[in-house]
Amino acid sequence: MILLLNGSPKPAHSTSASLGEYLLDRLTERGVQTSTLRINSSINTPESIQEMLTAIEAADIIILAFPLYVDSLPYGCMRAFEIIAEKYHNAAKNGQRMIAICNSGFPEASQSEIALDICKRFAAEVGFEWMGGLALGGGAGLDGKPLDKAGGMVRSVIEALNSAAEEIAAGQPLSEKTISLMAKPMMPSWLYLAGGNLSWHLQARKNRVHKHLNDKPYE
Amino acid sequence: MKALVLNGSLSAGDPTDNCQAIILDELNQAGWDADTFVLRDTKIAPCVGCFGCWVKTPGKCLIDDAADDIARSAVASDLFILLTPITFGGYSSEIKKALDRLIPTISPFFEKIGEEIHHKLRYDSSPNFAVVGTLKGPDAECERIFETLVVRNAINLHSQQYAAAVVIGDPTDESRVTIKEALEATGVKK
Repeated sequence: MILLLNGSPKPAHSTSASLGEYLLDRLTERGVQTSTLRINSSINTPESIQEMLTAIEAADIIILAFPLYVDSLPYGCMRAFEIIAEKYHNAAKNGQRMIAICNSGFPEASQSEIALDICKRFAAEVGFEWMGGLALGGGAGLDGKPLDKAGGMVRSVIEALNSAAEEIAAGQPLSEKTISLMAKPMMPSWLYLAGGNLSWHLQARKNRVHKHLNDKPYE
Repeated sequence: MKALVLNGSLSAGDPTDNCQAIILDELNQAGWDADTFVLRDTKIAPCVGCFGCWVKTPGKCLIDDAADDIARSAVASDLFILLTPITFGGYSSEIKKALDRLIPTISPFFEKIGEEIHHKLRYDSSPNFAVVGTLKGPDAECERIFETLVVRNAINLHSQQYAAAVVIGDPTDESRVTIKEALEATGVKK
């Protein structure tokens, strides 16, 4: 059983879900059983926490997909890590293995390195075997679209996840080739910068606040 | 001079919590004022990633809770201090919850800093940044991750001066020196 933990705080249409679900689909095609939980819905009540812990206990491989928030994992993922560590500390029952996929709103995949280091350290502390981490720069450009509808810019992302599915199904850790494919920029950084800045203007215009984008309400 | 202190300890009286008194004492001796938030006692909803704080109500989160007071204080402070148990090399969930809600204080617009893209400042300046992290025992890997994270945060927060201090176990006189050095490195001088 492979468990996808979706660490995006967004209730729907997240890039984490796009990446995680594409990977799960490729694994399902290979006959692997999969399930998915949203972390932010799994950490608030004793019942939802128990459901998450039970799913983790039943899993052979845990895939955590999350967005980079302030150079690290979002609150929900850190809270889930604390809860899981309290239960498992160095004693994962079933020898689970773990993979993490981090996407950031910056074009450089390298900005996610420290978040993946935190995931790797978590895995070591709870006794999960670390199978590797994938970092995607410019994930905000996907805007939660399914990968097969995101056009040519995600070609290397799709190649990376196809390759990851093959490695996961074969019980292998993620290879350097897969990690490098995922880290390949989807577009030049100058284009990402220009496109990103334009996108904020357009979104604000839609909300009729484009003249207030640089407001300083706390001054 | 003014500091904002976020205490991210998960339980009262633990080694992390016990560092708060040292930080506040050092600030007080230097003649600084401090806004202190013990986050486990502060009601803050998690960020939901809607970006409303950038494109609907620019500069303010759509959720009205104590994170608004923290953001206001951060903007008015000369020094932003985090106090956290080092958690898998990172910050505690309590610190993360508050930090994630601080993005209204930066601009959505991008700029290049060195070889990387980062968000621009929303305000004319940004506070210096000090993080005091606690560990149960020496742990080189956790310290490396933690110290790198502080550097990464300082770049994104546009902090001119920053420091990371690691306290092992319950705070001692030696820990006070470590904390004092971090505060001095970020502008707290008597």
